[in-house]
Amino acid sequence: MSRTPTEPPARGIEALPGDLMMWVLIVSELLVFGAGLLAFMGVRLTDPAGFAEAQSHLDRTGAGLNTMILVTSGWLAARAVAAAESADTARTRALLAGAAALGVAFLWIKWLDYAAKGAAGITFETHPFFTFYYLLTGFHAVHVVAGIVILGLVAIRPRAPTVEVGAMFWHMVDLVWVLLFPIIYLLGAGA
Amino acid sequence: MSITRAWAVLMALSLASTAIAWSGAGGVWAALAILTLAWGKAQVILNRYLRLSQAPDISRGVALVLGLFMAGVMGLAVAGG
Repeated sequence: MSRTPTEPPARGIEALPGDLMMWVLIVSELLVFGAGLLAFMGVRLTDPAGFAEAQSHLDRTGAGLNTMILVTSGWLAARAVAAAESADTARTRALLAGAAALGVAFLWIKWLDYAAKGAAGITFETHPFFTFYYLLTGFHAVHVVAGIVILGLVAIRPRAPTVEVGAMFWHMVDLVWVLLFPIIYLLGAGA
Repeated sequence: MSITRAWAVLMALSLASTAIAWSGAGGVWAALAILTLAWGKAQVILNRYLRLSQAPDISRGVALVLGLFMAGVMGLAVAGG
């Protein structure tokens, strides 16, 4: 909504950028992942040595690379919002395609990680660590798939409000990963 | 902070947390350092990528909840050694 120079700046919920319902979704998703990560940390207390041993089977290099990929993808999505606000359709589409392509790269690396675990006979039931690992990273991967679909859909008719909503979902996926990655992959790695 | 600068900060923080893990540094201090870096990354994504800095009241509330979550995770990390 445009404001006249005499209007006071928006405060509270009126100042919230983007779509309110997307913020409701983002907060809901963060609460779900946050509860999962706190439960993981709580259960870890019951068997620190077992969790550390199980964690040693993870591919930290691939996960670290995936962090760089998602952060860069988020940067492209944020730049797509700016391009859409400038009504630069071609640039918006190119940036959204770049963000989605990096999402596919993330999923490919994640798939290699899952395939390696499967080949090693590591399943949901191998250890409670892996129950949380598959649940949390799998649920996150599903959100990456959804995010790629959403970025593709908003690229069809890239108007600024829809691009912003799509990018917000993508940033939520990014935000969850930057919290999930250190807790699942890095904590206790040097122990 | 521009979007590109936010991206550079996120990359630097990600590299730093991975470097701490790869250095072999273990124990509580390494865990707290890694979690502090994750906290910083989350704040950058919220304020710059998601543009929450445009809504200072909401941003403060979200920062408080995120701080409580990180304090909980840090407390559990310390308890776990």
